[in-house]
Amino acid sequence: MLGCLITRYKRWRRDKLSEKRPWQEWEYLVLDIETSGLDAKRDHIVSIGWVLIKQGQIQLDSAQHLLLDGAQVDASVGIHLITDGDLEDRGRREESVIRYLRLLLRDKVLVMHHSPLELGFLKSWWRQLKQPSLSISWLDTLAIERTKAARSSQPIQEGGFRLAPCRMRYGLPEYQGHDALTDALATAELLLAQVAYQGKGCRLHDLLQMGGGHVILGSKQTLKR
Amino acid sequence: MAAIDVSEVQKFILSTPPFSNLSTAQVTTLLTGISISYVRQGQTLTLEGEAATLHLIRRGACEIRTPKGALVDQIADGECFGVSSVLAQNPDGLEIVAMEDSLVYRFDKASFLTVIAQSDAFALFFKHTRHHRSRKLLRTQSGDINTPALQLSTPIEQVMTRQLIQAIPEETVQVAAARMTEARVSSILIVAGKEEKQRLVGIVTDRDLRSRVLALGITADLSLAEVMTGEPATLLPDSLVMQAQTLMSEHNIHHLPVVSAEGLPVGMVTAADLLRHQELSPILLINQIHRQASVDSLARVCKQWPILIVNLILTDMKPADIGKVLAAVSDNLTRRLIELAIKTLGEPPMAFQFLVFGSQARSDQSLGSDQDNGLMLSRAPTQTEEEYFAALASFVCEGLGECGIRLCPGNIMASNPDWRMTAAQWRQVFSNWVTSAAPSALLNASIFFDIRCVYGDDESVANLITEVQKDVAKNSLFLASLTRSALASKPPLGFFRHFLLESSGEHKHQLDLKHQGLALINDIARLYGLACRTYRVGTIERLEQAIREKLITPDTARNLIDAWDELNGLRLDAQRRHWQSSGKASAYLDPSVLSPLERKHLKATFATIKDAQEIVLQRFARGYA
Repeated sequence: MLGCLITRYKRWRRDKLSEKRPWQEWEYLVLDIETSGLDAKRDHIVSIGWVLIKQGQIQLDSAQHLLLDGAQVDASVGIHLITDGDLEDRGRREESVIRYLRLLLRDKVLVMHHSPLELGFLKSWWRQLKQPSLSISWLDTLAIERTKAARSSQPIQEGGFRLAPCRMRYGLPEYQGHDALTDALATAELLLAQVAYQGKGCRLHDLLQMGGGHVILGSKQTLKR
Repeated sequence: MAAIDVSEVQKFILSTPPFSNLSTAQVTTLLTGISISYVRQGQTLTLEGEAATLHLIRRGACEIRTPKGALVDQIADGECFGVSSVLAQNPDGLEIVAMEDSLVYRFDKASFLTVIAQSDAFALFFKHTRHHRSRKLLRTQSGDINTPALQLSTPIEQVMTRQLIQAIPEETVQVAAARMTEARVSSILIVAGKEEKQRLVGIVTDRDLRSRVLALGITADLSLAEVMTGEPATLLPDSLVMQAQTLMSEHNIHHLPVVSAEGLPVGMVTAADLLRHQELSPILLINQIHRQASVDSLARVCKQWPILIVNLILTDMKPADIGKVLAAVSDNLTRRLIELAIKTLGEPPMAFQFLVFGSQARSDQSLGSDQDNGLMLSRAPTQTEEEYFAALASFVCEGLGECGIRLCPGNIMASNPDWRMTAAQWRQVFSNWVTSAAPSALLNASIFFDIRCVYGDDESVANLITEVQKDVAKNSLFLASLTRSALASKPPLGFFRHFLLESSGEHKHQLDLKHQGLALINDIARLYGLACRTYRVGTIERLEQAIREKLITPDTARNLIDAWDELNGLRLDAQRRHWQSSGKASAYLDPSVLSPLERKHLKATFATIKDAQEIVLQRFARGYA
């Protein structure tokens, strides 16, 4: 029991210290989901898109776009964890997607634009599919943007925190499409821009303070069962 | 792992050349391994290690700079950089500096090389980009002189003050002083004549008020006519900054009125206006020339000359302006050599003029121009005096040679006793050319009709020119002969309008831009120049004068001026390239290095010359070739 506590303390300390390392020493999974509605309890995830940031750069090869509604999984989706059988069975397909996502997320920081919605859906998804719990750090580009606006006391109009106007402030291109992957890429680019504006030596710690936190996906209850 | 379609990225790549011409499979290959980064304005990207690969700007703008910070290129959305870091290991150590916040795609080196190997067109595009950049790099490496040279060619028009503070000669000193104070200027222009047509007759400066009025205790009721500097030195609006500087230092003045060709004042340039142009390199060279006390040290200083010329060419200075700058340098060099000769040989026994002919007179020298000059003595010299001038002339001509202005192969030099004559003898020689009108006599004489005085009182030269023009006007046969001799060379347009190239010798199949192009225009302009009432010596000035005197249609003249500019530009560039690669200045151009469009353009240029030759033939030789 004590050993367990010491291990947890060491891990906590390590994580705390490592948060002080430059941001680009971390890997990030920038995620966007499309849902059938806004209620995480009633509605379900229609599609997920994500892209990874490593060494401070978006790795386009890591981009994924997964459709969970119906059997219309994009043929080019190349997840080795999804089998043909999964394609026919929504439950099993979801199962492999969440497994894959869980694997990826283990050593990464989750990034979203407007976290309450995404986190809500992820939490309930984790519970529904009875996934082992996963403790992660997350960043919200919207929250970061809001903090920045508050710090510089520059009022931003209503709606000015949506993804497109945020991007426009950093001179990022306008994107036509609004599927989960495009929005994930758009969010990733926004994060790079926000970090660039933090100047040299930006740490994960700084970003977490501006708009982020820690969350445990999947409750202990799920773990026990 | 193969990349999946990220539609926004793919859409952009597919709409951007040269990527747009790739096959779907090639695009997929290229997209493999792309990473995206965001660069803040002012941030520097190095192209080393993993970053030594092709980059594409998705949004933003960057500058490509040398390690020393000189600008090579500016690029923006849809443009690439890092090509040479892949294909040539970035030998120049170029750096990328973001001018705006930029979103940049970095391609995977292996993927890029795979596609380069697959698609010739794609590879060619990047080869071109690289050559284009290295050309620009070459230009920036001469960086230090770049900007000043550009400033130097700035027309006075852009530097001058347009606010005209004027008075008439009858007004009092007091009125003028009040007007100057009110306008906060240090000089006032004195004009006379009817309104709208007030010609400049004088200038009064602060210094004049001090030295000619106050210091002498003279009353302020004095009229301006009594204190002004009459007929002051002036500039035309299209004069160069450098000419203004030379004029100011020569006359030790700080104010130069700018007048239009009609003699109406249009502006004013002061030394203060020119202050920011002081660190200019041709000026520096001229100043250095004037500080040297021996031919040896002059020759050393003039070693910079070809470099200066190359730099002027590289800065894309207008060919006509380069000619003017070079003329200013060689005029000053000539004068300095004469001064040194006088120091060595003692004061000259009589007044004399040092005449220049040909390209120096026309102010269209370039790399490797040779010297053509002569001496005009005010009276017949005695034996000793003749020896003095022989010594002076060879001192100057050999000195010019040592300073890089080649001796004239035709021996048209002051060191040749044939071209050391009294004013009367010069008059006689010209008169013989004009009246005898024997084509053989004219064959080598035409360059003498481009004549300018660079040392001594130029009034006797002006008189000579006036007399020659009178003779020309009386002897219509002369211009006809001169025309026929000028038309003996044709522009290199064959029957099929193909280039007729030098078919033998070192420059086989190359185009002699000077003798097959520029010289023909100079010949045509000389004909018009001699037919005009007002003598001009530069080719462009002659053609412009001919428009004013309605001897030539503005269209024909302007086409010829354009042709001259174009050929001169090509010649200077060809010479620059030859000089940089071989240390020799050759005006030969290999037409195969021209793009089809440039070739078409060049053909049109030669066609213009041919048309003008026809017109000249009709005008001056009544069509009898």
